[in-house]
Amino acid sequence: MMRPFLAILRLTLRESFARRTFQAFLAISSIVALLFLFALNLDIVDGMQSAISLFGFELEQQVNLSRFVTQMEGAITILLFSGGIFMSLFATSSLIPSLLQPGIIDLYIAKPVSRPLILTARWLGGILIVAINITYLILSTWLIISLKSGIWNSGYLLALFPILLAFTALFTFMTFVGLISANGPLSLMLTYAIIFFSPLLMQRDEIYALLSAKIYSYLLDGLYYILPKMAEMGALSMKLTLHNEITDGWVLFHAAGFVLVLGLINLVIFQRKNF
Amino acid sequence: MPIIEISGLSKTYQRGKLRAVDNLSLAVEKGTVFSLLGPNGAGKTTLIKILLSLTHATSGQASIFNLPVNDTNIHRRIGYLSENHRFPEFLNPLQVLTHFGAMSDLEPGHLKNKIPLVIEFVGLKGWEKVKIKKFSKGMRQRLGIAHALLNDPEILFLDEPTDGIDPVGRKEIRDLILKLKNDGCTIFMNSHLLSEVERISDIVVIMKNGKILRQGTVDQFTEVQNQYELQLQSNHLSPALDGLISSWNLQPQPGLNRWLLQTGGTDSLNRCIDDLRRADIRIEALVPKKISLEDYFIDVVGE
Repeated sequence: MMRPFLAILRLTLRESFARRTFQAFLAISSIVALLFLFALNLDIVDGMQSAISLFGFELEQQVNLSRFVTQMEGAITILLFSGGIFMSLFATSSLIPSLLQPGIIDLYIAKPVSRPLILTARWLGGILIVAINITYLILSTWLIISLKSGIWNSGYLLALFPILLAFTALFTFMTFVGLISANGPLSLMLTYAIIFFSPLLMQRDEIYALLSAKIYSYLLDGLYYILPKMAEMGALSMKLTLHNEITDGWVLFHAAGFVLVLGLINLVIFQRKNF
Repeated sequence: MPIIEISGLSKTYQRGKLRAVDNLSLAVEKGTVFSLLGPNGAGKTTLIKILLSLTHATSGQASIFNLPVNDTNIHRRIGYLSENHRFPEFLNPLQVLTHFGAMSDLEPGHLKNKIPLVIEFVGLKGWEKVKIKKFSKGMRQRLGIAHALLNDPEILFLDEPTDGIDPVGRKEIRDLILKLKNDGCTIFMNSHLLSEVERISDIVVIMKNGKILRQGTVDQFTEVQNQYELQLQSNHLSPALDGLISSWNLQPQPGLNRWLLQTGGTDSLNRCIDDLRRADIRIEALVPKKISLEDYFIDVVGE
Protein backbone atom coordinates (compact mmCIF):
# COMPACT_ATOMS: atom_id res chain seq x y z
CA MET A 1 0.00 0.00 0.00
CA MET A 2 3.06 2.24 0.17
CA ARG A 3 3.20 2.66 -3.60
CA PRO A 4 -0.25 4.34 -3.97
CA PHE A 5 0.39 6.36 -0.82
CA LEU A 6 3.67 7.71 -2.17
CA ALA A 7 2.09 8.31 -5.57
CA ILE A 8 -0.57 10.60 -4.02
CA LEU A 9 2.06 12.35 -1.91
CA ARG A 10 4.25 12.90 -4.96
CA LEU A 11 1.35 14.21 -7.05
CA THR A 12 0.33 16.63 -4.28
CA LEU A 13 3.85 18.08 -4.26
CA ARG A 14 3.87 18.20 -8.06
CA GLU A 15 0.51 19.96 -8.05
CA SER A 16 1.75 22.70 -5.75
CA PHE A 17 4.83 23.04 -8.00
CA ALA A 18 2.55 23.36 -11.02
CA ARG A 19 0.47 26.02 -9.30
CA ARG A 20 3.70 27.90 -8.51
CA THR A 21 2.67 28.17 -4.84
CA PHE A 22 5.63 26.05 -3.78
CA GLN A 23 8.08 28.16 -5.77
CA ALA A 24 6.52 31.42 -4.54
CA PHE A 25 6.87 30.18 -1.00
CA LEU A 26 10.52 29.15 -1.53
CA ALA A 27 11.25 32.46 -3.26
CA ILE A 28 9.86 34.47 -0.33
CA SER A 29 11.84 32.32 2.14
CA SER A 30 14.99 32.80 0.07
CA ILE A 31 14.46 36.57 -0.08
CA VAL A 32 14.11 36.70 3.73
CA ALA A 33 17.27 34.60 4.14
CA LEU A 34 19.19 36.74 1.63
CA LEU A 35 18.06 39.91 3.40
CA PHE A 36 19.70 38.67 6.55
CA LEU A 37 22.75 37.53 4.66
CA PHE A 38 23.39 40.94 3.12
CA ALA A 39 21.59 43.37 5.43
CA LEU A 40 22.92 42.22 8.79
CA ASN A 41 26.44 43.30 9.64
CA LEU A 42 28.02 42.48 12.93
CA ASP A 43 31.49 43.55 13.95
CA ILE A 44 32.54 41.29 16.73
CA VAL A 45 35.70 41.66 18.77
CA ASP A 46 36.57 39.02 21.37
CA GLY A 47 33.03 37.68 21.39
CA MET A 48 31.53 41.13 22.08
CA GLN A 49 29.92 43.26 19.44
CA SER A 50 31.55 46.53 18.64
CA ALA A 51 28.98 47.55 16.02
CA ILE A 52 25.74 46.24 14.64
CA SER A 53 24.06 47.40 11.50
CA LEU A 54 20.81 46.13 10.08
CA PHE A 55 19.55 47.15 6.64
CA GLY A 56 22.34 49.78 6.61
CA PHE A 57 21.29 51.41 9.89
CA GLU A 58 23.89 51.45 12.64
CA LEU A 59 22.44 50.62 16.03
CA GLU A 60 23.80 53.37 18.27
CA GLN A 61 22.99 52.16 21.74
CA GLN A 62 24.91 49.33 23.31
CA VAL A 63 22.97 46.12 22.75
CA ASN A 64 23.71 42.75 24.22
CA LEU A 65 24.62 40.61 21.18
CA SER A 66 22.95 37.45 22.45
CA ARG A 67 19.78 39.36 23.26
CA PHE A 68 19.87 41.10 19.90
CA VAL A 69 20.17 37.78 18.05
CA THR A 70 17.39 36.03 19.97
CA GLN A 71 15.11 39.05 19.57
CA MET A 72 15.78 39.13 15.85
CA GLU A 73 15.02 35.43 15.63
CA GLY A 74 11.94 36.05 17.79
CA ALA A 75 10.77 38.60 15.24
CA ILE A 76 11.16 36.04 12.45
CA THR A 77 9.29 33.49 14.58
CA ILE A 78 6.34 35.85 15.00
CA LEU A 79 6.48 36.71 11.30
CA LEU A 80 6.40 33.02 10.46
CA PHE A 81 3.67 32.23 12.94
CA SER A 82 1.38 34.92 11.60
CA GLY A 83 2.29 35.63 7.96
CA GLY A 84 3.85 32.23 7.27
CA ILE A 85 0.84 30.26 8.48
CA PHE A 86 -1.51 32.72 6.78
CA MET A 87 0.26 32.20 3.44
CA SER A 88 0.59 28.45 3.95
CA LEU A 89 -3.14 28.09 4.51
CA PHE A 90 -3.83 30.16 1.42
CA ALA A 91 -1.44 28.02 -0.65
CA THR A 92 -2.95 24.73 0.51
CA SER A 93 -6.62 25.72 0.72
CA SER A 94 -7.58 24.12 -2.59
CA LEU A 95 -5.80 20.79 -2.06
CA ILE A 96 -8.74 18.95 -0.50
CA PRO A 97 -11.63 20.57 -2.44
CA SER A 98 -9.80 19.95 -5.73
CA LEU A 99 -9.42 16.26 -4.84
CA LEU A 100 -13.17 16.00 -4.23
CA GLN A 101 -14.19 17.36 -7.63
CA PRO A 102 -16.24 15.06 -9.87
CA GLY A 103 -14.00 13.50 -12.48
CA ILE A 104 -10.99 13.55 -10.12
CA ILE A 105 -12.14 11.72 -7.00
CA ASP A 106 -13.66 8.96 -9.18
CA LEU A 107 -10.23 8.17 -10.59
CA TYR A 108 -8.80 7.73 -7.09
CA ILE A 109 -11.59 5.74 -5.46
CA ALA A 110 -11.79 3.34 -8.40
CA LYS A 111 -8.23 2.25 -7.61
CA PRO A 112 -7.36 -0.50 -5.12
CA VAL A 113 -6.70 2.02 -2.38
CA SER A 114 -8.76 2.59 0.76
CA ARG A 115 -10.42 5.96 1.21
CA PRO A 116 -8.59 6.73 4.50
CA LEU A 117 -5.27 6.19 2.71
CA ILE A 118 -6.24 8.60 -0.09
CA LEU A 119 -7.21 11.36 2.33
CA THR A 120 -4.25 10.78 4.66
CA ALA A 121 -1.77 10.94 1.79
CA ARG A 122 -3.32 14.14 0.43
CA TRP A 123 -3.44 15.73 3.90
CA LEU A 124 0.16 14.75 4.61
CA GLY A 125 1.18 16.11 1.20
CA GLY A 126 -0.22 19.52 2.16
CA ILE A 127 1.65 19.47 5.47
CA LEU A 128 4.83 18.30 3.77
CA ILE A 129 4.81 21.25 1.34
CA VAL A 130 4.53 23.72 4.21
CA ALA A 131 7.00 21.83 6.41
CA ILE A 132 9.64 21.92 3.67
CA ASN A 133 9.19 25.67 3.21
CA ILE A 134 9.08 26.64 6.89
CA THR A 135 12.02 24.36 7.71
CA TYR A 136 13.97 25.88 4.82
CA LEU A 137 13.27 29.43 6.05
CA ILE A 138 14.09 28.73 9.70
CA LEU A 139 17.19 26.67 8.93
CA SER A 140 18.59 29.14 6.42
CA THR A 141 18.04 32.22 8.62
CA TRP A 142 19.33 30.32 11.68
CA LEU A 143 22.50 29.35 9.83
CA ILE A 144 23.10 32.87 8.48
CA ILE A 145 22.46 34.62 11.80
CA SER A 146 24.39 32.03 13.80
CA LEU A 147 27.39 32.08 11.44
CA LYS A 148 27.45 35.88 11.47
CA SER A 149 26.95 36.27 15.21
CA GLY A 150 28.53 33.11 16.55
CA ILE A 151 25.41 32.62 18.70
CA TRP A 152 23.68 29.31 18.02
CA ASN A 153 20.19 29.66 19.41
CA SER A 154 18.62 26.19 19.47
CA GLY A 155 15.34 27.64 20.79
CA TYR A 156 14.78 29.24 17.39
CA LEU A 157 15.01 25.83 15.75
CA LEU A 158 12.64 24.35 18.33
CA ALA A 159 10.08 27.04 17.46
CA LEU A 160 9.64 25.16 14.19
CA PHE A 161 7.56 22.49 15.97
CA PRO A 162 4.80 24.69 17.46
CA ILE A 163 4.59 26.56 14.14
CA LEU A 164 4.18 23.33 12.19
CA LEU A 165 1.78 21.92 14.76
CA ALA A 166 -0.31 25.10 14.60
CA PHE A 167 -0.42 24.84 10.82
CA THR A 168 -1.27 21.13 11.02
CA ALA A 169 -4.18 21.84 13.39
CA LEU A 170 -5.52 24.59 11.14
CA PHE A 171 -5.00 22.53 7.98
CA THR A 172 -6.90 19.65 9.61
CA PHE A 173 -9.76 22.05 10.34
CA MET A 174 -9.58 23.35 6.76
CA THR A 175 -9.72 19.73 5.54
CA PHE A 176 -12.81 19.20 7.71
CA VAL A 177 -14.63 22.19 6.22
CA GLY A 178 -13.38 21.26 2.74
CA LEU A 179 -14.77 17.73 3.10
CA ILE A 180 -18.16 19.00 4.18
CA SER A 181 -18.47 21.90 1.75
CA ALA A 182 -16.01 21.01 -1.09
CA ASN A 183 -15.47 24.76 -1.15
CA GLY A 184 -11.88 26.05 -0.93
CA PRO A 185 -12.62 29.74 -0.22
CA LEU A 186 -15.16 28.87 2.50
CA SER A 187 -12.77 26.50 4.28
CA LEU A 188 -10.05 29.15 4.09
CA MET A 189 -12.29 31.89 5.52
CA LEU A 190 -13.47 29.75 8.44
CA THR A 191 -9.89 28.74 9.20
CA TYR A 192 -8.76 32.35 9.16
CA ALA A 193 -11.60 33.05 11.60
CA ILE A 194 -9.95 30.69 14.11
CA ILE A 195 -6.70 32.65 13.85
CA PHE A 196 -8.59 35.93 14.20
CA PHE A 197 -10.71 34.88 17.19
CA SER A 198 -7.98 33.02 19.06
CA PRO A 199 -6.56 36.12 20.84
CA LEU A 200 -10.13 37.13 21.74
CA LEU A 201 -10.83 33.71 23.19
CA MET A 202 -7.61 33.93 25.21
CA GLN A 203 -9.01 37.15 26.73
CA ARG A 204 -12.47 35.69 27.27
CA ASP A 205 -12.41 36.53 31.03
CA GLU A 206 -12.51 40.21 30.10
CA ILE A 207 -15.26 39.61 27.54
CA TYR A 208 -17.54 37.85 30.08
CA ALA A 209 -18.14 41.14 31.84
CA LEU A 210 -19.60 42.57 28.64
CA LEU A 211 -21.97 39.67 27.99
CA SER A 212 -25.62 39.82 28.99
CA ALA A 213 -26.41 36.10 29.14
CA LYS A 214 -24.51 33.24 30.73
CA ILE A 215 -25.00 31.11 27.62
CA TYR A 216 -22.49 33.25 25.70
CA SER A 217 -19.81 32.58 28.27
CA TYR A 218 -20.45 28.84 27.94
CA LEU A 219 -20.18 29.24 24.18
CA LEU A 220 -16.89 31.12 24.45
CA ASP A 221 -15.56 28.55 26.93
CA GLY A 222 -16.61 25.75 24.59
CA LEU A 223 -14.87 27.34 21.62
CA TYR A 224 -11.79 28.05 23.71
CA TYR A 225 -11.41 24.48 24.89
CA ILE A 226 -12.22 22.91 21.52
CA LEU A 227 -10.36 25.06 19.01
CA PRO A 228 -6.57 25.10 18.74
CA LYS A 229 -5.11 27.91 20.84
CA MET A 230 -3.31 29.89 18.19
CA ALA A 231 -2.51 32.91 20.34
CA GLU A 232 -1.00 30.74 23.07
CA MET A 233 0.95 28.67 20.54
CA GLY A 234 2.34 31.84 18.98
CA ALA A 235 3.43 33.01 22.43
CA LEU A 236 4.94 29.59 23.09
CA SER A 237 7.05 29.72 19.90
CA MET A 238 8.33 33.14 20.99
CA LYS A 239 9.18 31.80 24.44
CA LEU A 240 11.11 28.92 22.88
CA THR A 241 13.09 31.32 20.69
CA LEU A 242 13.76 33.77 23.52
CA HIS A 243 14.54 30.98 26.01
CA ASN A 244 11.79 32.17 28.34
CA GLU A 245 10.17 29.84 30.80
CA ILE A 246 7.49 27.60 29.23
CA THR A 247 4.38 27.41 31.38
CA ASP A 248 1.77 26.63 28.76
CA GLY A 249 3.24 23.57 27.05
CA TRP A 250 -0.15 21.90 27.38
CA VAL A 251 -1.41 23.87 24.35
CA LEU A 252 0.83 21.68 22.19
CA PHE A 253 -0.82 18.54 23.55
CA HIS A 254 -4.19 20.18 23.06
CA ALA A 255 -3.34 20.93 19.41
CA ALA A 256 -2.05 17.39 18.89
CA GLY A 257 -5.28 16.03 20.39
CA PHE A 258 -7.30 18.36 18.15
CA VAL A 259 -5.43 17.04 15.08
CA LEU A 260 -5.96 13.45 16.16
CA VAL A 261 -9.68 13.74 16.94
CA LEU A 262 -10.59 15.96 13.99
CA GLY A 263 -8.34 13.87 11.72
CA LEU A 264 -10.30 10.75 12.67
CA ILE A 265 -13.59 12.60 12.14
CA ASN A 266 -12.32 13.64 8.70
CA LEU A 267 -11.53 10.02 7.84
CA VAL A 268 -15.02 8.91 8.91
CA ILE A 269 -16.65 11.70 6.87
CA PHE A 270 -14.54 10.82 3.82
CA GLN A 271 -15.24 7.11 4.25
CA ARG A 272 -19.00 7.67 4.34
CA LYS A 273 -19.19 10.36 1.67
CA ASN A 274 -21.08 9.75 -1.57
CA PHE A 275 -19.42 10.99 -4.74
CA MET B 1 -21.82 -17.74 -13.51
CA PRO B 2 -22.46 -14.00 -13.19
CA ILE B 3 -19.42 -11.81 -12.67
CA ILE B 4 -21.55 -8.94 -11.33
CA GLU B 5 -24.60 -9.62 -9.17
CA ILE B 6 -27.02 -7.02 -7.89
CA SER B 7 -29.95 -7.83 -5.67
CA GLY B 8 -32.63 -5.47 -4.35
CA LEU B 9 -30.29 -2.50 -4.64
CA SER B 10 -31.63 0.93 -3.72
CA LYS B 11 -30.10 4.35 -3.32
CA THR B 12 -32.16 7.19 -1.96
CA TYR B 13 -31.36 10.85 -1.41
CA GLN B 14 -33.08 13.62 0.52
CA ARG B 15 -34.12 11.23 3.29
CA GLY B 16 -35.79 8.81 0.96
CA LYS B 17 -37.70 11.37 -1.10
CA LEU B 18 -35.57 10.83 -4.18
CA ARG B 19 -34.97 7.25 -5.29
CA ALA B 20 -32.03 7.22 -7.68
CA VAL B 21 -31.91 3.41 -7.78
CA ASP B 22 -35.04 1.55 -6.79
CA ASN B 23 -34.92 -2.10 -5.70
CA LEU B 24 -32.84 -3.09 -8.70
CA SER B 25 -31.66 -6.63 -9.40
CA LEU B 26 -29.57 -7.88 -12.29
CA ALA B 27 -26.68 -10.14 -13.19
CA VAL B 28 -23.91 -9.68 -15.73
CA GLU B 29 -22.25 -12.68 -17.32
CA LYS B 30 -18.52 -12.86 -17.94
CA GLY B 31 -17.31 -11.77 -21.36
CA THR B 32 -20.41 -9.82 -22.36
CA VAL B 33 -20.89 -6.21 -23.39
CA PHE B 34 -23.55 -4.99 -21.00
CA SER B 35 -25.10 -1.60 -21.66
CA LEU B 36 -27.27 0.64 -19.54
CA LEU B 37 -29.65 2.98 -21.31
CA GLY B 38 -31.99 5.52 -19.89
CA PRO B 39 -32.94 9.17 -19.90
CA ASN B 40 -31.08 11.64 -17.67
CA GLY B 41 -31.74 10.89 -14.02
CA ALA B 42 -32.59 7.25 -14.71
CA GLY B 43 -29.99 6.09 -12.17
CA LYS B 44 -27.38 4.68 -14.59
CA THR B 45 -24.43 6.65 -13.27
CA THR B 46 -25.54 6.09 -9.67
CA LEU B 47 -25.58 2.35 -10.34
CA ILE B 48 -22.04 2.42 -11.76
CA LYS B 49 -20.93 4.55 -8.81
CA ILE B 50 -22.36 2.05 -6.34
CA LEU B 51 -20.57 -0.79 -8.13
CA LEU B 52 -17.31 1.15 -7.90
CA SER B 53 -17.93 2.09 -4.27
CA LEU B 54 -17.99 5.79 -5.10
CA THR B 55 -21.48 5.95 -3.66
CA HIS B 56 -22.89 3.78 -0.89
CA ALA B 57 -26.15 1.92 -1.46
CA THR B 58 -29.02 2.62 0.94
CA SER B 59 -30.12 -1.02 0.87
CA GLY B 60 -29.62 -4.24 -1.07
CA GLN B 61 -26.52 -6.12 -2.15
CA ALA B 62 -24.06 -5.77 -4.98
CA SER B 63 -21.04 -7.96 -5.60
CA ILE B 64 -18.30 -8.24 -8.19
CA PHE B 65 -16.25 -11.45 -8.47
CA ASN B 66 -18.38 -12.66 -5.53
CA LEU B 67 -16.92 -9.94 -3.31
CA PRO B 68 -18.96 -7.09 -1.82
CA VAL B 69 -18.43 -3.92 -3.85
CA ASN B 70 -16.82 -2.05 -0.95
CA ASP B 71 -13.86 -4.47 -1.02
CA THR B 72 -11.09 -2.41 -2.66
CA ASN B 73 -9.35 -5.62 -3.82
CA ILE B 74 -11.98 -5.74 -6.58
CA HIS B 75 -10.41 -2.62 -8.04
CA ARG B 76 -7.22 -4.53 -8.85
CA ARG B 77 -9.21 -6.45 -11.46
CA ILE B 78 -11.35 -3.71 -12.94
CA GLY B 79 -10.83 -0.62 -15.06
CA TYR B 80 -12.99 2.49 -15.02
CA LEU B 81 -13.43 5.36 -17.42
CA SER B 82 -15.55 7.95 -15.65
CA GLU B 83 -17.74 10.49 -17.35
CA ASN B 84 -15.88 13.84 -17.61
CA HIS B 85 -12.73 12.47 -15.99
CA ARG B 86 -10.13 15.11 -15.29
CA PHE B 87 -6.48 14.18 -15.23
CA PRO B 88 -4.05 16.77 -13.82
CA GLU B 89 -3.49 19.23 -16.67
CA PHE B 90 0.16 19.76 -15.81
CA LEU B 91 1.03 16.12 -16.49
CA ASN B 92 1.69 14.40 -19.81
CA PRO B 93 0.24 10.95 -20.68
CA LEU B 94 3.41 9.20 -19.57
CA GLN B 95 3.22 10.85 -16.15
CA VAL B 96 -0.54 10.26 -15.86
CA LEU B 97 -0.18 6.57 -16.62
CA THR B 98 2.81 6.22 -14.29
CA HIS B 99 0.86 7.93 -11.49
CA PHE B 100 -2.34 5.94 -11.91
CA GLY B 101 -0.35 2.76 -12.45
CA ALA B 102 1.27 3.33 -9.07
CA MET B 103 -2.20 4.07 -7.65
CA SER B 104 -3.20 0.63 -8.92
CA ASP B 105 -0.19 -0.74 -7.03
CA LEU B 106 1.42 -1.99 -10.25
CA GLU B 107 5.13 -2.81 -10.22
CA PRO B 108 7.30 -0.09 -11.87
CA GLY B 109 8.88 -2.77 -14.10
CA HIS B 110 5.48 -3.94 -15.30
CA LEU B 111 4.37 -0.36 -15.90
CA LYS B 112 7.45 0.42 -17.95
CA ASN B 113 6.48 -2.32 -20.40
CA LYS B 114 2.72 -1.79 -20.21
CA ILE B 115 2.52 1.99 -20.72
CA PRO B 116 3.89 2.03 -24.32
CA LEU B 117 1.49 -0.80 -25.19
CA VAL B 118 -1.65 0.97 -23.95
CA ILE B 119 -0.53 4.25 -25.48
CA GLU B 120 -0.17 2.54 -28.85
CA PHE B 121 -3.43 0.66 -28.33
CA VAL B 122 -5.44 3.89 -27.95
CA GLY B 123 -3.55 5.70 -30.71
CA LEU B 124 -1.66 8.25 -28.63
CA LYS B 125 1.80 7.25 -29.80
CA GLY B 126 3.91 10.37 -30.34
CA TRP B 127 1.88 12.31 -27.74
CA GLU B 128 3.42 10.69 -24.66
CA LYS B 129 5.30 13.79 -23.56
CA VAL B 130 2.79 16.48 -24.52
CA LYS B 131 0.99 18.18 -21.62
CA ILE B 132 -2.66 17.14 -21.34
CA LYS B 133 -3.84 20.76 -21.35
CA LYS B 134 -3.09 20.72 -25.09
CA PHE B 135 -5.27 17.65 -25.68
CA SER B 136 -8.67 17.62 -27.42
CA LYS B 137 -11.66 15.98 -25.78
CA GLY B 138 -11.18 12.89 -27.93
CA MET B 139 -7.52 12.56 -26.96
CA ARG B 140 -8.40 12.90 -23.29
CA GLN B 141 -10.98 10.17 -23.73
CA ARG B 142 -8.38 7.91 -25.32
CA LEU B 143 -6.02 8.59 -22.44
CA GLY B 144 -8.86 7.75 -20.05
CA ILE B 145 -9.29 4.41 -21.77
CA ALA B 146 -5.52 3.81 -21.70
CA HIS B 147 -5.47 4.47 -17.95
CA ALA B 148 -8.39 2.07 -17.44
CA LEU B 149 -6.53 -0.68 -19.31
CA LEU B 150 -3.25 -0.45 -17.40
CA ASN B 151 -4.04 -3.29 -15.02
CA ASP B 152 -5.44 -5.66 -17.71
CA PRO B 153 -8.95 -5.46 -16.25
CA GLU B 154 -11.37 -8.36 -16.26
CA ILE B 155 -14.26 -5.87 -16.18
CA LEU B 156 -14.16 -2.47 -17.81
CA PHE B 157 -16.68 0.12 -16.62
CA LEU B 158 -17.24 2.79 -19.25
CA ASP B 159 -19.37 5.82 -18.46
CA GLU B 160 -20.15 7.58 -21.75
CA PRO B 161 -17.02 6.29 -23.54
CA THR B 162 -17.72 7.99 -26.87
CA ASP B 163 -18.87 11.30 -25.44
CA GLY B 164 -17.37 14.18 -27.42
CA ILE B 165 -15.61 11.93 -29.89
CA ASP B 166 -15.90 12.32 -33.65
CA PRO B 167 -17.35 9.48 -35.80
CA VAL B 168 -13.90 8.10 -36.70
CA GLY B 169 -12.86 8.11 -33.06
CA ARG B 170 -16.15 6.47 -32.10
CA LYS B 171 -15.52 3.67 -34.55
CA GLU B 172 -12.04 3.19 -33.13
CA ILE B 173 -13.41 2.99 -29.59
CA ARG B 174 -16.10 0.59 -30.76
CA ASP B 175 -13.46 -1.64 -32.37
CA LEU B 176 -11.40 -1.39 -29.21
CA ILE B 177 -14.34 -2.49 -27.05
CA LEU B 178 -15.02 -5.44 -29.35
CA LYS B 179 -11.36 -6.40 -29.26
CA LEU B 180 -11.40 -6.32 -25.47
CA LYS B 181 -14.55 -8.41 -25.46
CA ASN B 182 -12.88 -10.96 -27.74
CA ASP B 183 -10.00 -11.07 -25.26
CA GLY B 184 -12.51 -12.11 -22.57
CA CYS B 185 -13.02 -8.75 -20.91
CA THR B 186 -16.51 -7.93 -19.63
CA ILE B 187 -17.69 -4.45 -20.58
CA PHE B 188 -20.21 -2.61 -18.41
CA MET B 189 -21.18 0.49 -20.30
CA ASN B 190 -23.41 3.49 -19.91
CA SER B 191 -23.96 5.50 -23.07
CA HIS B 192 -26.34 7.99 -24.59
CA LEU B 193 -25.27 7.07 -28.11
CA LEU B 194 -27.83 4.42 -28.88
CA SER B 195 -26.40 3.65 -32.30
CA GLU B 196 -23.11 2.70 -30.62
CA VAL B 197 -24.87 0.60 -28.00
CA GLU B 198 -26.87 -1.16 -30.70
CA ARG B 199 -23.74 -2.13 -32.59
CA ILE B 200 -21.69 -3.61 -29.78
CA SER B 201 -23.93 -4.68 -26.89
CA ASP B 202 -24.86 -8.24 -26.01
CA ILE B 203 -27.30 -7.27 -23.27
CA VAL B 204 -29.11 -3.97 -22.94
CA VAL B 205 -30.93 -2.72 -19.86
CA ILE B 206 -33.29 0.23 -20.16
CA MET B 207 -33.73 2.16 -16.92
CA LYS B 208 -36.07 4.92 -15.86
CA ASN B 209 -36.58 6.46 -12.42
CA GLY B 210 -34.09 4.02 -10.90
CA LYS B 211 -35.96 0.92 -12.12
CA ILE B 212 -35.32 -1.53 -14.93
CA LEU B 213 -37.97 -1.18 -17.63
CA ARG B 214 -36.58 -3.75 -20.06
CA GLN B 215 -33.66 -6.15 -20.23
CA GLY B 216 -32.67 -8.23 -23.23
CA THR B 217 -30.52 -8.56 -26.31
CA VAL B 218 -30.46 -5.89 -29.01
CA ASP B 219 -32.20 -8.33 -31.41
CA GLN B 220 -35.00 -8.93 -28.92
CA PHE B 221 -35.60 -5.21 -28.71
CA THR B 222 -35.33 -4.31 -32.36
CA GLU B 223 -37.00 -7.25 -34.09
CA VAL B 224 -40.60 -6.73 -35.17
CA GLN B 225 -42.66 -9.93 -34.93
CA ASN B 226 -43.84 -11.41 -38.27
CA GLN B 227 -42.81 -8.48 -40.43
CA TYR B 228 -40.28 -8.86 -43.22
CA GLU B 229 -38.70 -6.61 -45.79
CA LEU B 230 -38.90 -8.11 -49.23
CA GLN B 231 -36.57 -7.10 -52.04
CA LEU B 232 -37.53 -8.37 -55.47
CA GLN B 233 -35.30 -8.55 -58.53
CA SER B 234 -36.45 -5.79 -60.86
CA ASN B 235 -35.78 -7.55 -64.20
CA HIS B 236 -37.82 -10.58 -63.22
CA LEU B 237 -41.11 -8.92 -62.35
CA SER B 238 -44.14 -10.81 -63.50
CA PRO B 239 -47.59 -9.41 -64.37
CA ALA B 240 -48.88 -11.61 -61.56
CA LEU B 241 -47.19 -9.34 -59.06
CA ASP B 242 -50.10 -6.91 -58.92
CA GLY B 243 -52.40 -9.70 -57.79
CA LEU B 244 -49.93 -10.91 -55.18
CA ILE B 245 -49.48 -7.38 -53.86
CA SER B 246 -53.17 -7.12 -53.11
CA SER B 247 -53.60 -10.71 -51.89
CA TRP B 248 -50.61 -10.50 -49.48
CA ASN B 249 -51.18 -6.84 -48.68
CA LEU B 250 -47.59 -5.92 -49.54
CA GLN B 251 -46.79 -2.37 -48.48
CA PRO B 252 -44.37 -0.40 -50.66
CA GLN B 253 -41.17 0.67 -48.95
CA PRO B 254 -38.63 3.33 -49.93
CA GLY B 255 -36.42 2.03 -52.77
CA LEU B 256 -37.12 0.11 -55.96
CA ASN B 257 -39.15 -3.13 -55.59
CA ARG B 258 -38.99 -3.14 -51.82
CA TRP B 259 -42.06 -4.29 -49.97
CA LEU B 260 -43.12 -4.86 -46.40
CA LEU B 261 -44.65 -8.25 -45.79
CA GLN B 262 -46.77 -8.85 -42.72
CA THR B 263 -47.53 -12.51 -42.04
CA GLY B 264 -49.39 -14.48 -39.43
CA GLY B 265 -46.35 -16.67 -38.75
CA THR B 266 -43.74 -18.87 -40.39
CA ASP B 267 -46.32 -20.95 -42.30
CA SER B 268 -47.87 -17.93 -43.93
CA LEU B 269 -44.37 -16.53 -44.70
CA ASN B 270 -43.51 -19.73 -46.52
CA ARG B 271 -46.81 -19.69 -48.42
CA CYS B 272 -46.08 -16.17 -49.61
CA ILE B 273 -42.61 -17.23 -50.81
CA ASP B 274 -44.18 -20.19 -52.65
CA ASP B 275 -46.71 -17.87 -54.34
CA LEU B 276 -43.98 -15.49 -55.44
CA ARG B 277 -41.81 -18.29 -56.82
CA ARG B 278 -44.75 -19.88 -58.62
CA ALA B 279 -45.32 -16.54 -60.37
CA ASP B 280 -41.60 -16.64 -61.37
CA ILE B 281 -40.82 -13.59 -59.29
CA ARG B 282 -37.22 -13.65 -58.07
CA ILE B 283 -36.61 -12.79 -54.44
CA GLU B 284 -33.38 -10.89 -53.94
CA ALA B 285 -33.60 -10.57 -50.17
CA LEU B 286 -35.96 -11.32 -47.34
CA VAL B 287 -35.00 -9.92 -43.95
CA PRO B 288 -36.92 -9.70 -40.68
CA LYS B 289 -38.12 -6.15 -40.17
CA LYS B 290 -36.23 -4.33 -37.46
CA ILE B 291 -36.69 -1.01 -35.79
CA SER B 292 -33.74 0.93 -34.49
CA LEU B 293 -32.82 0.65 -30.82
CA GLU B 294 -33.44 4.36 -30.62
CA ASP B 295 -37.07 3.95 -31.74
CA TYR B 296 -37.55 1.10 -29.28
CA PHE B 297 -35.94 3.10 -26.49
CA ILE B 298 -38.15 6.12 -27.12
CA ASP B 299 -41.25 3.91 -27.13
CA VAL B 300 -40.27 2.24 -23.86
CA VAL B 301 -39.29 5.33 -21.88
CA GLY B 302 -42.32 7.18 -23.23
CA GLU B 303 -44.73 4.53 -21.91
